[in-house]
Amino acid sequence: MSANSKGRIMVVDDEASVLITYRLILEQQGYSVGAFSKSSEAIRALEEEDKYDLVLCDYSLEEQHTGFEVIAAARKRDDCVPAALLTGYATRETADEAASRKIVIMFKPIEIEEFLATTASMLKGEEECDQESGQKNTGTQTGT
Amino acid sequence: MQRRTPAAMRLLEAERSEAIFPILLEEIVALGHPRAMVLDVDFDTGEIAPSAALKWPRPQIGKFSTQIWSPDNPIAGVLNSAHPAAFPKTSLHNRPLYVHPIFYSNNAVCWEAERVRSANCLAVQNARREKRVRLEEQTCATCEMRAYASIIVVELGKNNTEAALAELSQIIELANRCLSRIFKVEHYYNRMRDMEITIAQMGTVMQSMADPVILTDTQNRVMMQNCAAERFFKVPDEMSEGLIRAVELNNMLFSAALSSMLVMGNDAHRDLTLVDAIEGEEMLFEAVSGPTYGPDGNQIGTVTVMRDVTDLRRADQELWLNYDKLREAEEMVRQDRDRLNLIIENVGDPIVVCNSAAKIVLTDPLAQELFGSSSPEVPRDALLVRNQSDFTNYISSFTFSFAERETAPLRIYNPAVKQTIEYDARSGKIFDERGQVSYTVTVLRDLTALRKVEQLKVERRMLEIEKFAATGRLAATIAHEVNNPMEAIKNAIYLLAGSVPESATPVYNILKSETERVARIVRQMLGLYRNTEQVKPVSVNTIVEDTLLILSRQLQRANIELLTRLRPLPDAIIAADQIRQVLSNLIINAKDAMPNGGRLHIRTRHIHGKDELRGIVQVLIADTGTGISPEMTRAIFEPFVTTKGEKGTGLGLWIVKGIIQNHAGKLSVRSRIGKGTVFKIDLPVVKS
Repeated sequence: MSANSKGRIMVVDDEASVLITYRLILEQQGYSVGAFSKSSEAIRALEEEDKYDLVLCDYSLEEQHTGFEVIAAARKRDDCVPAALLTGYATRETADEAASRKIVIMFKPIEIEEFLATTASMLKGEEECDQESGQKNTGTQTGT
Repeated sequence: MQRRTPAAMRLLEAERSEAIFPILLEEIVALGHPRAMVLDVDFDTGEIAPSAALKWPRPQIGKFSTQIWSPDNPIAGVLNSAHPAAFPKTSLHNRPLYVHPIFYSNNAVCWEAERVRSANCLAVQNARREKRVRLEEQTCATCEMRAYASIIVVELGKNNTEAALAELSQIIELANRCLSRIFKVEHYYNRMRDMEITIAQMGTVMQSMADPVILTDTQNRVMMQNCAAERFFKVPDEMSEGLIRAVELNNMLFSAALSSMLVMGNDAHRDLTLVDAIEGEEMLFEAVSGPTYGPDGNQIGTVTVMRDVTDLRRADQELWLNYDKLREAEEMVRQDRDRLNLIIENVGDPIVVCNSAAKIVLTDPLAQELFGSSSPEVPRDALLVRNQSDFTNYISSFTFSFAERETAPLRIYNPAVKQTIEYDARSGKIFDERGQVSYTVTVLRDLTALRKVEQLKVERRMLEIEKFAATGRLAATIAHEVNNPMEAIKNAIYLLAGSVPESATPVYNILKSETERVARIVRQMLGLYRNTEQVKPVSVNTIVEDTLLILSRQLQRANIELLTRLRPLPDAIIAADQIRQVLSNLIINAKDAMPNGGRLHIRTRHIHGKDELRGIVQVLIADTGTGISPEMTRAIFEPFVTTKGEKGTGLGLWIVKGIIQNHAGKLSVRSRIGKGTVFKIDLPVVKS
């Protein structure tokens, strides 16, 4: 169960119970997880700590903050880093913006198998991106 | 005396009238008179002209010709006086003359007068001189004999004594008596000859008649008949059983008819059917009989004229037949008219008929409410008069337009609802045989009710859209609020897997499956409102194929035979993911409807629009499953309605409908219990 060998994942969600269960599930799979309930804390962590291999972020965060801000901070450090927005509902504008930034949208409620499969494939894509050109190619669509 | 006897004898011996005057003239001269002549009177012309003369020089004879009414002529005078006279010397002759008129006269009445027992005989009247002899009346009133009148003129000799004149008069009178007798006989002979001619003529007339004419005696025995009658009643020379029987039958029928007609009296008519002995056809006759009388006034027989009315009857029958047909046709026309009137009365819309001058000539009761009665006695409401003028303005422009029919809006005040209403005026023209407008017919349709219905439809649709949107918003809010806690619960359950004691495993499984069910509901509710996907032109066939690729394993396992027929389609501008969701929902439903397997038909086709620009892409998804009851069919598109019990969320078809409506498409369903269900999707496409 080497955490470092499978990858380091940042999870951001303003609902504590959701955040904890995500963390536990991911840790069960052997990932190293950094869990944050506020965007400000997550952004600070991204600036100060080691880099994350994947950012999974709730869309609507505390006080009108959005997941885009967190992801933008992560991309500032590593423009190849794969990112996904977790949300129950997305407007057309949100979806368009995510697509243009190559951000995956995962709709809650998420089948856990699907959630884990997407996570794994995103991490795999990151390696390819790094190896090829530094530009990250995320999957455009989650499965139904 | 010796001389006189021979003279009388000679006259008596004369057997013809023309022999009398020569004997008379000879006997006069024999009496010692130098010369004598006879002048004949023609009552037709009024001429008096010499007809015989003895010893009279020819040039002098002509002088004696004269006229009955010559006033100064002595001869005419003697004739008019009807008495003999002697003249010593006249302008006619320079010697003394004896002039003696003679008229047809007998002492006994002639046979005709005797037969009819009449005393009115001219000969007797002339002989008796009962009345003055009138020249203009010299025709017998009884036998119509035209009497003769002559004048004997004698030049007197030296012996012109009284006795000599008497002797002369005597011999002339004697001659006249002989002449009258012979004249009478000759007259009756002539009459007989004339009658024979008349009888012959009558016979010819009778024979030449095409209709049978029969003269019968009082015992109904045939006395005379013409050729036409012989055809039916005379036994033919060429003997044959049939002919004889036919003739016998005809005679019997005729006798019977005759007897019955005699009973009926004068001028009896009777129909009689006879058999044509030669042709063997039956012929219908109308027999007219009349009695014939003898000279004594007694009936001696009956004349029957028969008219062949076979053709007449046939024509008559045909006439009746035609008359009946005509009446039938008339009846039909009447019924048609009544039916038309019934229709017009029940159209429920005002109808106005105008003539070519745009004047209202006919209105139904509804139109009368708008325009008033067309009869001039009824006083008119000012508003109705205005209606009328508005209508007339409209209809005259239509009447003089080139359009044969027209639909135009027309605002008319309706007194029943006390407001102006917009009518749909539909007008048509009726043309006469020359192609001129003779009438226009206008039906006014009150569109208020129709508009109301339309309005209601729109409102209902709006309401439905609103409802859908509201429901959607509500669902989204709830789902969002439920979503996060549920996400945590679901994750927690997942994390507990493996660490649940065996005794708690059934409870854990319930927890897990029910949570998954709630998650599914929330996911589907939100799915409809995730407008994450851009619309772009794509072939529906591709989406069908993609969907089937994913679901084919499932269908196979369910023992379902898949039959597709995908026709070439134009690209439709759609959200591919949403349509994929629609298709997979419908296919999964179809699969669930066939628990024991079956056939699933999926067909697509392009339906061309009218204008080549628009069209429809149609998708049919048909299963051979259990089917949906009609009551259910109406409800299945409502949220939370499911036929699958616990298994279904009741949202699938609601979402499908929402997606199709978002695409401006149509979704319909047809189903029969035990037979299967067909879903039809119509998506509009526009040609680029």
